[in-house]
Amino acid sequence: MESTIVFYLLSALSVISALFVVFSRSPIYSVLSLIVCFFTIAGHYIMLNAQFLAIIHIIVYAGAIMVLMLFTVMLLNLNKELGTHKFNLTKLMAVITGGLMFLVIIASVKSSSLANYQAPAYLNIGNAEDIGMKLFTDYLLPFEISSVLFVSAMISAVLLAKKEVK
Amino acid sequence: MNTLIYTSVLGFGLMVLEVLKLRKWISPAIILGLSLIFGINIHDWNQPGSYMGNMLEISNFTVAFNALAIFITLLIAMLASEYYSDEEHHISDYMAIMTFVLCGAQMMLGYANLVLFFIGIETLSISLYALSGSKRFDAKSNEAGFKYFLMGSFASGFLLFGIALMYGATQSFDLNKLAEYAMGTSVSPLFLTGLLLVLFALFFKVSAAPFHFWAPDVYEGAPSIITAFMSTLVKVVGFAAFYKFLHVFGYLIPVKFDWLITLVAILSLVTGNLSALAQENFKRLMAYSGISHAGYLLIGLVGAAAFPSSAILYYGLGYSLSTIGAFAIAMAVFKSTGSESISAFNGLGKKNPVLAACLTATMLGLAGIPPFAGFFGKFYIFSEAIQNGHFYLVLVGILSSMIGIYYYMKVVIAMYAKPANETKIEISLTNQLVMWLCLVLVLLIGIMPSLVTGLF
Amino acid sequence: MNPITNPESTTNWYLFLSCLLFSIGVMGVLFRKNALIILMCIELMLNAVNLLLVSFSAYSGNTDGQTFVFFIMVVAAAEVAVGLALMVSIYRNIGSIDIQSLNKLKW
Repeated sequence: MESTIVFYLLSALSVISALFVVFSRSPIYSVLSLIVCFFTIAGHYIMLNAQFLAIIHIIVYAGAIMVLMLFTVMLLNLNKELGTHKFNLTKLMAVITGGLMFLVIIASVKSSSLANYQAPAYLNIGNAEDIGMKLFTDYLLPFEISSVLFVSAMISAVLLAKKEVK
Repeated sequence: MNTLIYTSVLGFGLMVLEVLKLRKWISPAIILGLSLIFGINIHDWNQPGSYMGNMLEISNFTVAFNALAIFITLLIAMLASEYYSDEEHHISDYMAIMTFVLCGAQMMLGYANLVLFFIGIETLSISLYALSGSKRFDAKSNEAGFKYFLMGSFASGFLLFGIALMYGATQSFDLNKLAEYAMGTSVSPLFLTGLLLVLFALFFKVSAAPFHFWAPDVYEGAPSIITAFMSTLVKVVGFAAFYKFLHVFGYLIPVKFDWLITLVAILSLVTGNLSALAQENFKRLMAYSGISHAGYLLIGLVGAAAFPSSAILYYGLGYSLSTIGAFAIAMAVFKSTGSESISAFNGLGKKNPVLAACLTATMLGLAGIPPFAGFFGKFYIFSEAIQNGHFYLVLVGILSSMIGIYYYMKVVIAMYAKPANETKIEISLTNQLVMWLCLVLVLLIGIMPSLVTGLF
Repeated sequence: MNPITNPESTTNWYLFLSCLLFSIGVMGVLFRKNALIILMCIELMLNAVNLLLVSFSAYSGNTDGQTFVFFIMVVAAAEVAVGLALMVSIYRNIGSIDIQSLNKLKW
């Protein structure tokens, strides 16, 4: 029963912090609430018995990506509101589109029969050993070839952001 | 499999050359390397197989499109060695990133698992975001790169959501298992919604209307060489991956989503051709022309299970060669006039008659006038579509190619009918070589289509 | 209805939650003008997908989904690095990352 309460609590927190990311006025608050949102998602992972991913998620997202974002906010001194915050037609359309999108997806998938799903028997999945086995057997090629992606991203980032005299 | 490995090794090798201070060997190395890889790739012909636990699948389809992708990259690399000659300290970066784009393309062509497909599409896109924004002191180029980045990653969000829903229905990313599921009696709504979202993302990648908004801006702002690269490689590879994706599911997609593909094809034809009429900038014109060509190719994807892949290969080859040929000339013109609008071509017919004749030929090729490859490519696609009973689509296609002739002629008219305002255009030897190569090949396969269509 | 122990409803609850997060991300992308926040909303969309994949994976006892999440994180990291580099280079040139100031090329 506790797990039910935890589930609802985490879900509410995720949704509220996600909304805060979108609607908050200052970029710093957006970044911070996105970090909160990532932590709640990590909580969901733990509830789903995916501890390895939960840790990786916190390290990669909250640790690396969000710190990079915070650095950018500080570096570019962006912590001020850009433009007007009036509720105009574009924004109304954005909200409507988002809402419709949600309704359409939910409507189209809610009737799906999830016949092959059983309650999580807390099977032996989601630990480091299991994911490691997958990564180094079935998914060896994507795992290795991601290095190409990383090298490319690295060169690109250096190419674009390095300061240089004209 | 070997092709992919050697391509990534080539990319790393180019950076090693930079580290060893052998900068002037980089251009020869990439040209030589790509030619070798072309040979290695051809060696896989008629040797189908699946590798690494059915991650990568090599078939004649893959080999043929790989060969096309490698050839495009080779031509672009030759042009790039000229284009970047005044920016030598960055040439290794550009060349290496281009090679990595090719790696991504090969993953997209050979995928047998959606994980590899995703990694491939992202390798290709992330490298291209950077290349489009690579003119760092040009606000236009920055803007192009950034727009491409924002919209591209938005689209990959949808792609991922689609893949996740499909996984939810099937518990697998393996194409064989997905195909098995799709052939089964009951297909879950999860799966169909997932398919739909993946289709949206693919439409975005091949810049089909109404998912085309990024294309004109990005093509205009990006450096010309990258525009040539994007408009050929990404489009051809995107369509090949699209074709493969549709083909896997047999008749499931034709039954469920043919209306969508038909709609997008008609919209692309109409928007692409009509918007192109109003363009004054050559690169924007090429962007809209690319959108309309996406429309023609999409006609080929309606009812994909009944359609031969050689039509897509042939059309892609004709389109890429004509476009690269046009850009080889246009880049020389842009460089000496400093303008990218169609008026930059004014009077080219008097100043450089040979160049003007060649550019006219490529434009006619794109417009689909015989004896160039563009004509037979369209003819092939239309006749296949008629056999499958899509008369109205062919009608829209024919009408819009008539509009197409008009705006391609705009460039030709500028060259011959408008007065000259500049001195003679200097064109480098490399550009001339690429231009002649493209032209001869376009004519050759235009006259003897069976060279390509007879392959498989 | 207990969302955790009831087998049918639970995945649906996670499906519901991740659809909601995904839609909030989509809405944010369309809603905001600040490029950095748009980038964060895209991250939110990717996280919604991750959550969906992990829940599908946990409920069907199949590790593939969780392995894919690993790759999504790889790609997200690379994407953010390139995106922020582009953003820095834009900021240097035009002094703003408001997407409305990106008007050199008409949309």
